[in-house]
Parts: sequence; C-alpha cells; structure tokens
Amino acid sequence: MELLVIIIKSIIIGGFVGFGVGAGAARMFHAPSSQGMGAFRTLGELNACAGDAASHFSFGLGFFFNAWASSVGAGAFTQDVDHRIIPNWAAALLMRKGKRPEDTLHNPKKMAITGAIIGILVVSFLNSTASAIPESLQAIALKVLVPAANLLINPVMPVIFWLAALDSGKRSGIWGTIFGGAAHLVMGNAVPGVVLGILIGKGVDDGGWNKITKTLLVSVILLFVLSGFFRGFDIAFLQGFNLEAPEWLIDLHKLIGYEVK
Amino acid sequence: MGGNNEINMKSFWYADWSFPLLVALLSSGVFAGTHMYYVYKIGAFNDVAIVAMLEVGLQGGGYGVAAAFGASFLFARILEGSLVGILDIGGAIQTGIGIGIPALLLASGITAPLENFTLSLLTGAVLGLAIGYTVIVIRKFTVGQSNSTFGADVMMGAGNASGRFLGPLIIISAASASIPIGVGAIVGAAIFYAGKKPIVGGAIIGAMLLGAFFPISLD
Repeated sequence: MELLVIIIKSIIIGGFVGFGVGAGAARMFHAPSSQGMGAFRTLGELNACAGDAASHFSFGLGFFFNAWASSVGAGAFTQDVDHRIIPNWAAALLMRKGKRPEDTLHNPKKMAITGAIIGILVVSFLNSTASAIPESLQAIALKVLVPAANLLINPVMPVIFWLAALDSGKRSGIWGTIFGGAAHLVMGNAVPGVVLGILIGKGVDDGGWNKITKTLLVSVILLFVLSGFFRGFDIAFLQGFNLEAPEWLIDLHKLIGYEVK
Repeated sequence: MGGNNEINMKSFWYADWSFPLLVALLSSGVFAGTHMYYVYKIGAFNDVAIVAMLEVGLQGGGYGVAAAFGASFLFARILEGSLVGILDIGGAIQTGIGIGIPALLLASGITAPLENFTLSLLTGAVLGLAIGYTVIVIRKFTVGQSNSTFGADVMMGAGNASGRFLGPLIIISAASASIPIGVGAIVGAAIFYAGKKPIVGGAIIGAMLLGAFFPISLD
C-alpha cells in the first residue's frame, strides 16, 4: 500500500520537475533573450553530445547508475537527475530518428513534454526500487564520470571562459579577471565571476557607464559581499592575513547560525 | 510553432511571463521531493553531502548549517540567473528550495508543509513563483533596458567550447581508473569517431562494457 502511495506521488513529482527542467533547458539555448533555467555546465554537456541520440543517452545512463546507487544508499537522488539525466534523455528520445537539435533540443515545448515523461519514469523508478544495482556499474560512474565532470567544472570551464573574456576586449578581460579570481576565492569556482565580468565589460563597451551598467556593478559587488558573508569568507580572509576578526562580526555570524572557529 | 527561423519570442514557451510558472512547477516537485525524504527517507533532489546537512537537523542537531547554506545559494543564484539569462537549478531550486527553505521552516517549528504532500506541492509552487518573478523583475531593470547583449555571444561560445573537452576528459579518467576500463573507453571513442559521432558516448559505453567484465572496487 505504501509503495502505491510512493509511486503515485513520484508520478506527480517527476512530471512537474521534468516539465520545468525540459522547458528550462531548451530555453537556455535562446538565452539571454529568453530566460532559461539549468546550468552552464548542462549547456556545455548538451552541446558536447552534438545532437547525437546515442551520446545523449549514454551520458545520462552513466549518471543514472550513480543516482540510483545514491538513492538506494542514502535516499538522495543527486543533483544529476535535474542537471543531466532528464535533459539528456529527453534530448535522446526526441532525436532518435536523426532529427536536428534546432527542431528538438532547442524547442521548449517538445523538451517540456518529453522531460515530463522521462521525469515520471526516472523518479518513480528511483523511488520504488529497493534492490541494489550491480556494484561494478556504480563504481564506473563514480570513478570515471565524476572525475571527468569535476575536471570539466574546474579547471577546464573557468579557463575557457577566462580566455574568452581576455579575447573579447580590454574591459571584459579586466573585469573577468578581477571577478573570476574573486569568485574562485569566495565560491570555489571562477565561472560565475568571469561570466559577470564579461557581462559588465561588454555592457560598458556597448552602452558606456549608464544607469544599467552601474546598477549591474553594484549588484555584482553586493552578490560577492553577501555570498562571502554567508560562507564565512570574511572571517577566513582576515585570518588568512593574520588579522583578528572583530567581536561584532563574529556575533553577526552567530545570528545566522554560522559558528566561527 | 512555425518554422525554426521565425521563433515567436512572445509565445508562452519563450516569453518572460511564463518563466515564473515553469520555476513554480519545478520548485513544487523539488519541495515535494523533500517531503518524500522527510516521510519515507527517499527521493530528495540533491547530493548526499547536502541532504546530510538536513539530516543533521532532523536528528536533532540544529538546522543552522542547512538553512544558511541553502539560503545563501538561493540568493546568489537569483541575482546571477537574472543577469546571465540562465537560472542555476542546482543552487537556486535543488539546494535553496529543496534544502535551505525546509531547514528554515523546520527550525521555526513549522512541519506541516513537509508532512503533507499536497501542502508541500503548494508551498514549492508559491516559492517558485516568487523566485521566478524576482528573476524577471531584476532582468527588466537591468538587461532588459539596454540594447546591449552584455556579451551573451561570448559566453555561449565559451559554453560550446568547454563541452568539447568532455570526451577526452572521460577517456583520461577511464584510463586512470583501470587498464580494461581505459581500453574500453579508447576503443569505444575511436569507433564512434570513425562513425562521425561525438566520442563522449562511445567512451562511456566502452568503459561500462569492459567495467562490467573487469570490475573495479569502490574505494
């Protein structure tokens, strides 16, 4: 009886999530004129499969075994269900007859509907299977795909974005370098910072220092200050330079539940 | 939908106004996933390490870490998402809505949205709508008011270029995992390349095939 309830709930959850992920992934190909949702690495990986159904399927499959193992072991799907499995399998299903990505993967309507179908199947399957998966397949996912994906996220993507920033003009290069370096210090990955640097540099190239670019710069700085604060970077920064963190700052951190060592 | 060259950017599937609805659907599902974890200990949409932060709270160890971690991610990703045109699902939805907000609610003693399935779907949808609208509003006041594309072409180019690295990277890490798995990845990639297909798929299939016969241990 409980299994039936779990499956019914899984169908609803999987359908909702798959619809959103599918439409969001297709809209990424039309960003920034259309607001997308997904991740830069998802966009890169979808492009890496170059519209080949077998590549999309096998890429998703590798992460599926990992997600399965993690679900069985700890009840956690891993983020890959939304980032990799649903978008890649939806793309594979749409492209199975050699259709072009422009008519399938880039089409939010088709991706939303296919994503919902894949989402229902994947979520129901992960939530209802209690039996363990073959350990050899789980090991490959962990030992082959995860390191490769980690290398892609850091340092490959930061370097490529950084070089693109340096090549696209003096302003993008300077802002990309400053914010990229700061992003790696604060968030552990330079990509968001380099992207914001390109955004500001190109914005100023095209329109000068107007109200919008100034607001942008202020919000980016605000973003760094706040996410630095929430991750305790301010304290670590002071300690790194052998300085004492003031008492009021430590108290402020305690207020939001962050314990300063 | 018409031809591919004449996409109607104002239609539901591409417009700004529909974005909050899409975020609402996704958030609704992800929040309900956390409900599943709360009730059945299965189905949270996140990595083991991050779900573990919530589990610490559920075991009585305090929700501070999960709440601060999730909330800071949510905030940073909303701002970044509206500026670059891609809202990060992992940070904003899976970690922010799936872990941070439940932790905040539980810390304040509110358990109903996590205990009741329908209520969890509704809570997620409302939160998603709010995030979607915030993104669109920030967009209108920044990127939307200007003729500049803010270097989107540069970023798209870089995104495409980085995707090409994945194939060789998978072969390299397969070759570091074990000799049979490495051989499988190399042969698979070569066959795919000869057949004019991206080498990613061949490398993974080859690695898995040989890995099934010559298993490696997990440690």
